Amino acid sequence: MGSIVLVARLVLADVRRHQVQAAMLLLAVTVATATMALGLSLRGVSDAMYEQTRAATAGPDVVALSGDTGPAVTSALAELADAPEVTAHHGPYQVVYADLTTRGSTSSPVVVQGFAETPGPLNRPLVTSGRWVRPGGAVLERGFATALGVGVGDHVTIAGRSYPVAGIAVTAATSIYPWAAQIGPYGGPSDYTGLAWMTRADARALASSRDLPVTTALDLKLRDPAATESFIDAHRVPITFHSWQFTAGQDMVILRNSQPILVVGSWLLGFLAVTGIAVLAAGRAVAQTRRAGLLKAVGATPGLIATVLLAEYLALALAGDALGLVIAHLTAPAVASPTASRIGGAAGPDGATVVAATVLAVAVAVLSALRPTLRAMRTATVRALSAPAHQPRHRPWLTALSALLPTPLLLGLRLTARRPGRAVLQACSTATTVIGIVALLVIGAQPERGYGLDGSSALPNLRGEHDRRVMLAVTVLLIALAVVNTITFTWTTAMEARANVAIARTLGATPSQISLGLSTAQLLPSLPGAVAGVPLGIGLCAMFTVGKWTLPPSSWLFGAALATLVVTAALTALPARLAARRPVAQALSAEST
Amino acid sequence: MNEPSPVVDVRGLVKHHGEGQGRVRAVDAVDLEVPQGQTLAVMGPSGCGKSTLLHLLGGLERPTGGEVRLAGRRIDTLGEPALARLRRRSVGFVFQAFHLVEELSAAENVELPALLAGCSRREARRRAGLLLERVGLADRARHLPSRLSGGQRQRVAIARALANDPLIVLADEPTGNLDTAATLEVLRIFEELRSAGQTLVIVTHDERVAATADRLISMRDGMFVDDTRLAGAGAGPVPEAGTGTGWLGGLIGLEG
Repeated sequence: MGSIVLVARLVLADVRRHQVQAAMLLLAVTVATATMALGLSLRGVSDAMYEQTRAATAGPDVVALSGDTGPAVTSALAELADAPEVTAHHGPYQVVYADLTTRGSTSSPVVVQGFAETPGPLNRPLVTSGRWVRPGGAVLERGFATALGVGVGDHVTIAGRSYPVAGIAVTAATSIYPWAAQIGPYGGPSDYTGLAWMTRADARALASSRDLPVTTALDLKLRDPAATESFIDAHRVPITFHSWQFTAGQDMVILRNSQPILVVGSWLLGFLAVTGIAVLAAGRAVAQTRRAGLLKAVGATPGLIATVLLAEYLALALAGDALGLVIAHLTAPAVASPTASRIGGAAGPDGATVVAATVLAVAVAVLSALRPTLRAMRTATVRALSAPAHQPRHRPWLTALSALLPTPLLLGLRLTARRPGRAVLQACSTATTVIGIVALLVIGAQPERGYGLDGSSALPNLRGEHDRRVMLAVTVLLIALAVVNTITFTWTTAMEARANVAIARTLGATPSQISLGLSTAQLLPSLPGAVAGVPLGIGLCAMFTVGKWTLPPSSWLFGAALATLVVTAALTALPARLAARRPVAQALSAEST
Repeated sequence: MNEPSPVVDVRGLVKHHGEGQGRVRAVDAVDLEVPQGQTLAVMGPSGCGKSTLLHLLGGLERPTGGEVRLAGRRIDTLGEPALARLRRRSVGFVFQAFHLVEELSAAENVELPALLAGCSRREARRRAGLLLERVGLADRARHLPSRLSGGQRQRVAIARALANDPLIVLADEPTGNLDTAATLEVLRIFEELRSAGQTLVIVTHDERVAATADRLISMRDGMFVDDTRLAGAGAGPVPEAGTGTGWLGGLIGLEG
């Protein structure tokens, strides 16, 4: 118990003394775990929202769809309704294929389902605003209405006839917008299509007025809702069946790219978090070693020392993990349902998601802090108490090479050479950022078909927009962490080299030369990182893209790498300038004591 | 006939540390002239302001009040870049804690000021070789500071301070971390510098070091309490800032 109190006290004291570093660790882990939890939750949230919509709308277990109409089809569907596995049915009802135009002249394919004015016990669309169908009025599916920008009271023109929008509703009997048609006219393939409801009489009148294509549908409720596959297998008739499981799976089509973007994005964010926090931990290595020496001197065991040193990182990482999971929970419904075709929120992340996010958080903490912790544990007590400074290796070839360069490059190269591991981390951090930017450019470069009539982009491709939004969010997070990392790297380098910087100043190096040298020390490793990031980003996109895809113009990719380097240079300028202007005498005195 | 201006000319120099009640007058209205070729020793108890005075003379700290002139040029009003250029050419520092760059060899440390001053690598290496030979460390040129004794490190630091043939060398407790043998070795070098006409200001606690000087100033509470001529101080012509006529000048043939 005493040990736990001691560890808690030491951890709290250390967090209070290093608030900025604690905040950075918390932020990095929160961002990484939130992204991962969101990516892993999408399927579950999408399923949960379908389930809630299905429950609220008395969704059918199976929808039987025929490309034809007439007595033969009606008879075949009636036979299905009488099957022993079926406990209730709705229909058959007509599905009319038409074009819909709004007052703003946006046109889209639409399927119109003819429903009773008083819905039955099965497939009862939930009216979210306005009222249910009445003669002369239409009800629009909510995802479709949202895309069109149409509300209750507006007028829409369907196949040349004007209808007031009586209400907005959702249903679980069809896939989300724009996959409401399920089958095309005469049973053929369907295009991006919205959904509307009218009274049966209005639907019939609409179909006959323009001789529009019509199909027939029947909603079925089974005795065993899970037994849809066996029901479909047992009724091999020329009819298309869509089980509720199929429809739920269809909802994920719109998220097909979002999930890998978020999951892979979380790996990249996790990696950036490790690089940034590892540099912070390394910057504190001397102090941590001295702390370990103090604890050893008063009789602490190696296990207790490791616990004290790791506990801070683990505690902050777990706090970040919890925060990330909460953020993922709150944002998941918006990310998982970009069409408004479904209702409801989502339960918290499932057990597997919580475990995966926590593993990521713990990995970030342990990978960042393990090396300094082991070093502190292994250093002999007396040596630890004298806090030996890091002794960089002598690199005569590099010293000779740098002597040929102008002073800022000379200083920059020698500062880089002091910490080659740090340079590798900086290169990896830059490469990771460029990978994210390249992926964003690749997604932006893909041609896509709009959801409007004949592929018009008057109604944008929601899946493409969603992918771009998610990728943009991940890229912004990657850039934000990379910005924090770059500033951290520069400041840590400056602090570790403050003695050498002060010596160089006594020998006549100007603050500008020092500042440029510090910036150069960050830019030198960033250069190969930016160059490597371009092919790595393209390779990553190739791994997750199915079918043909378009590469962005080379100028975009080159510009991304160049812009990253320019921004890196700009970001290093301020901390480098601040470090270069620290009083020399003060720095030398600190080194002497 | 005009009197040659001193290398160091200080008038009413004041330096305060801290604010309010915690304010300390580290240097309190001192006047000082150091002619060219003079070796000045400054002694006094810890905290009397000796090191601060040295930092002010070398432009490492800015005074709260008063004027500092180096070779007739006022330096307390200079900006940081100009001060850096001045230090590069005209001032050499020797510190108690040596302050060598640990990852550079002895020769590379000595080359550094010349490289910063824009010398070619070949010239910087030539100067470093000559200086290390002169301080008796030619055979240690490729050694890292961590493989040198304290005395050897200080001799490297002295060689580095002389790399650009400075107008003045400012030494802050140069023997403070050294044993007797190493102290004597450093004193021998300072004596050679003095004989060669190098202007030197040495802050020290060590009376053996002070005894080698031409002049001894005692400080207490930021003020000069005694100023004694120990030997005839040189008063030769002062060269232009940035080109000393000292030890290295003679050694490698630099013209004043």
